[in-house]
Amino acid sequence: MRITANAKVATRQRILEVASKLFLDAGWHPTTTRGIAAEAGIATGTLFNYFATKEAVAAALIETALERAYEGLPNQPGYGDSVEGDLFSLVWSGFRSLAGFRTFLGAAAETIFSPLARQSPDSPGDAIRTTHLQWVQSIIAEHGVPKPLPAVTLQLYWTLYLGVLAYWAADESPGQEDTLALLDQALKLFVSSLGAAR
Amino acid sequence: MDVNISQLIAALPDDGGPSSTQTLTQERVHEIFADLAYRPMPLGSLHRLWTASELSAQIALAYLAYGIRQWFCDAETAEKALLETNLRVALKVFHRLGYLRGAFAKIGQTAAHMPNVLPDQVAETLDTLHSSAPPMHYLLIREVVRNEFGKDPEELFATFEREAFAAASIGQVHRATLKTGERVAVKIQYPGIARTIDADFRNIQALMLPMRLGKEWESVKAQAGEIHRMLKQEVDYRQEAESLRNAAALFQPEDGIVVPRVYPEVSGLRVLTTELLQGTHLPEYLAANPTQASRNEFGTKIDRAWWRLYLAFIGYSDPNPGNYIFLSDGRLGLLDFGCVRHFTEEERELVRLADKAAFEDPSLMPQLVQKACGIHPADPEFGAYLRIMQDTCDWMLAPHSQPGPFDFGNPSHFDKGAELFSGVVRSRHVRAHPMYVYHNRAVYGLLALLYRLGAQVDVAEVLRQERARNPA
Repeated sequence: MRITANAKVATRQRILEVASKLFLDAGWHPTTTRGIAAEAGIATGTLFNYFATKEAVAAALIETALERAYEGLPNQPGYGDSVEGDLFSLVWSGFRSLAGFRTFLGAAAETIFSPLARQSPDSPGDAIRTTHLQWVQSIIAEHGVPKPLPAVTLQLYWTLYLGVLAYWAADESPGQEDTLALLDQALKLFVSSLGAAR
Repeated sequence: MDVNISQLIAALPDDGGPSSTQTLTQERVHEIFADLAYRPMPLGSLHRLWTASELSAQIALAYLAYGIRQWFCDAETAEKALLETNLRVALKVFHRLGYLRGAFAKIGQTAAHMPNVLPDQVAETLDTLHSSAPPMHYLLIREVVRNEFGKDPEELFATFEREAFAAASIGQVHRATLKTGERVAVKIQYPGIARTIDADFRNIQALMLPMRLGKEWESVKAQAGEIHRMLKQEVDYRQEAESLRNAAALFQPEDGIVVPRVYPEVSGLRVLTTELLQGTHLPEYLAANPTQASRNEFGTKIDRAWWRLYLAFIGYSDPNPGNYIFLSDGRLGLLDFGCVRHFTEEERELVRLADKAAFEDPSLMPQLVQKACGIHPADPEFGAYLRIMQDTCDWMLAPHSQPGPFDFGNPSHFDKGAELFSGVVRSRHVRAHPMYVYHNRAVYGLLALLYRLGAQVDVAEVLRQERARNPA
């Protein structure tokens, strides 16, 4: 039986919806690929045609949410005024878009974005990292650093980003205002490191 | 203090020549702002403490360098070197305080409004703290507003200027227009700053621990507690809105004193929207060489506003010149009501007693000392406290005891007050009811402001009129 492209898209979407619900209701650790497949009404083997691991499912959810956030960036009032502001907007818009996943995001991020994990184009978080860093490069270029940033600088940025993400995922302050302050400081620190490159 | 040669050289005042004071200031201000732009706001307790100690070390270093240079130059050059050292120190303090912004910044601002306790150049430079602290970018501002109201500034206001027009130690102010057309000032607080105050006070308590065996300990602890309480109040803009409303009700159009109206629908815990008052602050006002008559008129309004509030048991306790605005039509605007003390019933009794002892019945002075300083007449130090109280009252009342206007521009009165103040600190006679932390600050600040304004004010007449309005 041939499966149409539309059916594939629909199945993928169904898996993502079911997984999102399970991650939120049952939590990150108790949820398994077998459980997701059962809830989606497909065989576990079929699920593996779409996602190799539970982390890959979560990464796809995060990636979709972030893409939605990034698309709206240039329309935000104040966007384009300063490099700090634009980077702030990039990160915070993403967090806003991920707000629905906050309860499981911390645990998921530990494995998806582990700095100790081997980085490869196949690893679940790689597409998220690549897209985000492309945005960072383009924002910085817009503000006067035409050269591509050295890999070390980007790694430093990514480490800061993950630190702020982890803080935000567990931030109990009203409106996550502590994360707002932390992000502001982290970005000022990063932008100050760009001084020599300008 | 660990000092290396390069630090010492860096702290040396410049030699004369082309590097005039003005050039130095401009270059240094430029450097400071360039540096500030890249400095993170220190939220961590340890980091803030470290920065504060570094600041003291730098000030000490600069004055040490001045001392060394003194050995090698004549008197005229020495004076110039001192001026430049003061300026450098002021800029360093400014730099650090602009950076710290929390409780330490507030303490720094208090010190800045004591001319002659700090050199003039330091005081003047610190003035700019209220209008020149580094801004938050708009996208961060927008998130704070969203957190407060669930809407963007563009949705809440008809217009909203993305650039702040004024900055304060814990926030910044943006011009905006309400949908109903009124021009307003929107004060927005840096996120998370309220919690840094607790961290600051944990540091201050740690620094105070060596004092705990002294006899002043309980009083000093209570005074520190009062500062903590007031700073916490200051970060709650809902309380400031309430204070603004209470104060505004005390003034009529004929007073020529205006307290901006609050717009509650666009005000909350971290955002405060008030009527926009347009005018100049003290440094710009003075720079325009106002006439003596104008200085006197504003000085009288400042004095009247202070007494009007005080007699209503509202202590206008942040006498920073940035809180006063000189309107072109001659009205005086009172801007900031974050640091306002509402006296409790017990404190009102103390105010009444102090008033009576100072103005009517000096025989009440021992009773006042007992209540205001918490010291028993049998205490061997009672006599010393009584003398301080008497001297302080005499100094504060001197402008009231002469007929006609008192010339606050004459430095001798202020010098005497500064001497008294530093004498009290040196002799460690610091036991006082916690309310006096802010009350003394307000009184010294008021007199310092009138001194810098060079105003001649008939304070006795102002007080007589104000008492007639409010006999309670």
